[in-house]
Amino acid sequence: MTATATAPEGGKRGAHRRRNRWIGLAFAALPLAVYALVVLVPLAQSVQFSFYKWDGVSASTWAGLDNYRTFLTDPVLRSTFGHVLVLIGFFALLPIALGLLSAALLTRARQPGMAVYRWIFFLPQVMTTVVIALVFKRIYAPDGPLNTALRAVGLDSFAKTWLGDFTWALPALGMIGTWVTFGFCMVLFISGTSAIAPELYEAARIDGAGPVREFFAVTLPGLRGQMAVALTLTITAALRTFDLVWVTTHGGPGTSTLTPAVALYKAAFQNPQVGLAAAIGVVMALLCLVIAVVITRVAERD
Amino acid sequence: MKIYKAGVAAAILALGLTACSPGSGTSATGKTEAPSAVSTDVAKAGDVTLKLTDFWGGAEGEWIKQVVADFQKKYPNVKIQRTNEDWGQLNSTLNLQLQDDSGPDIATANNGWQSLGTLAKGGLVRNLDAYAKAYGWDKEVPTTIARQNQFSADFKTMGAGSWFSTPMARTSLIGLYYNADKLKSLGVEPPKSLADLESVAAKAKVAGEVPFEYGSLDGSTTILLGTQALLADKKKLNDYIYGDSSVKATDVGMTEAITLTKKWADAGYFPPKFEGIDYQTAVANYVGGKGVFRWEYTGSLGLDAAKQGKYGYLQLPQASGSGTVGVGAAPGAMVISSKSKNPDVAAAFLDFLMSAETGQLAADRGLVPALSPDVKVPATSLSLTDESKGAATLDENDGYVPYFDWSSPTMLDKISQNLQLVYAGKLTPEKFTEAVDQDRDAFLAGQS
Repeated sequence: MTATATAPEGGKRGAHRRRNRWIGLAFAALPLAVYALVVLVPLAQSVQFSFYKWDGVSASTWAGLDNYRTFLTDPVLRSTFGHVLVLIGFFALLPIALGLLSAALLTRARQPGMAVYRWIFFLPQVMTTVVIALVFKRIYAPDGPLNTALRAVGLDSFAKTWLGDFTWALPALGMIGTWVTFGFCMVLFISGTSAIAPELYEAARIDGAGPVREFFAVTLPGLRGQMAVALTLTITAALRTFDLVWVTTHGGPGTSTLTPAVALYKAAFQNPQVGLAAAIGVVMALLCLVIAVVITRVAERD
Repeated sequence: MKIYKAGVAAAILALGLTACSPGSGTSATGKTEAPSAVSTDVAKAGDVTLKLTDFWGGAEGEWIKQVVADFQKKYPNVKIQRTNEDWGQLNSTLNLQLQDDSGPDIATANNGWQSLGTLAKGGLVRNLDAYAKAYGWDKEVPTTIARQNQFSADFKTMGAGSWFSTPMARTSLIGLYYNADKLKSLGVEPPKSLADLESVAAKAKVAGEVPFEYGSLDGSTTILLGTQALLADKKKLNDYIYGDSSVKATDVGMTEAITLTKKWADAGYFPPKFEGIDYQTAVANYVGGKGVFRWEYTGSLGLDAAKQGKYGYLQLPQASGSGTVGVGAAPGAMVISSKSKNPDVAAAFLDFLMSAETGQLAADRGLVPALSPDVKVPATSLSLTDESKGAATLDENDGYVPYFDWSSPTMLDKISQNLQLVYAGKLTPEKFTEAVDQDRDAFLAGQS
């Protein structure tokens, strides 16, 4: 990012301009050095470790692509990708759909107490994940509030050991993610819609557009930038899911809620497989990068 | 383009900074030889300050504080600076701390390959053979406990070879707790054998009680390992865990133990919806009066003085009738850093930790003493009296088996996950046992 800021703009190539550039670089030098030290060096080290079989202490042996091969072929480790895809549905797609819906509803008519709603829905975003996870662990407990509520309305057959159930544990965790990111998406989209020129809505109405048509013709295109931000942040959050799983299920039952981040932690800090952990980290970092680039590209295309 | 060029340049620069292979800075050779001349005379060592880092809190923390104080009283020339870290924190950072010149002289490590094996192999902890000879540990410590601290010269096998850590006059066992009031109201005596236990459990079930308080949400394996120790051959189980590849999981009662556990689960001997109950909740439920029995690590129930009179502990004899075998180890492996400048004094402290004196200090604080047969336990504490009896029986029988998950670094994950699959009917006991072998054999193959 810093490199773009210091790059000269095309056309003007005078000595004055060039001196400015060097001054810019000089100013950026210290932050760049710090950035290199705390981000780039560890990044390069991780890439390097990922090619070794290493227990973190003794001498390492060159492993080539073995760690990557293990990550991509081991049935348990490979299954973590599937779990992450499910989580993306719950962390990104569902909250964005809900956020759009509520933003459309909330902005159409000004209700009293809007700020309060926004504040309530945004609250999960400022809470620590560990706290949220503990709260939901209680909610999902066999005798927890969720099952009690289901039984109270006669839906006994729906009551489950949510986090201990092979089918339901992952969706149950996903719903926590939905609850957390929904408010963020909604607030983002509400502020986005308020920036859309009212004339566009007027024009749409004059042309006879109903609320649905208006949403797809005016609101949705106007929110493209916000959508990109929401998608990038929520998808990468889904890819990095660790604390939620660690506090609630540890990846269980079986390995049905194991995510790459949890597998990485176990490999790095519980089992002496630093190389494998680095390989998982590198793959996940690349995935995040690719997703971010793709989303930005698509969003910026006219 | 500028961005990409800058990025590539930065990457090359960063790679250049980390050119040599990871771990090449620490050498595995040279430090593992035991020093030939060691001194056991602490008073002569002059003024010495040792740094101790341990993972003990609560009553255990009080215990080590007192041990340190007593040691300093005994040897006024020695000062011990103690640092306490939480268990997970210390385990994941000990390898880094020991590489630091100002790191601890003495630390608590976790036995097995996950921690101790890695530290020994990396030359970060001292070979203690010379001290074992000087202090007579070889003779005083039961073989089944001593083995837990030993590694071969090539660091490919655990359970034989040189000492790299020491136990202490305390132990942590897996055994069966019982709620004394519940047994009384059921009109039965504490069971004396596995068959007894099953009939009492059946009786409890009929009376509307939960026979075993338990939850599997976070994959608790104590029940499986507790029953395995009753069913397996002691020598074979030890050999299996220490990496003798000629012994298979089928030879060490694994299939029988998992079958029995599953049978109990299916018979409704666990609380309803136990798949959704986590470890903490299960412990709280049991201490709160739910359930008759619970398989548990000693000292993990956190019983207060009043409760200690209400809960008993059983180290059941083997189903085959050949003595008593139990899962147990010292609650921490004491290591001396290779960088320590005063290993002689540190070793004296380790020896002190195995003395009857520290065993008594443990019993006084409600902790299970070991290696100290004459220790006095308050008679009002049923659980501690029973636990000490259990430890004494195992000391006498030389009947310890290490925690099963020492067999490979990934074993605990493997059995936790697969246990949940077995409960859900997604994995048969036979496949469970096969998976155990696969995990260990894959690890052993990587070792050689």
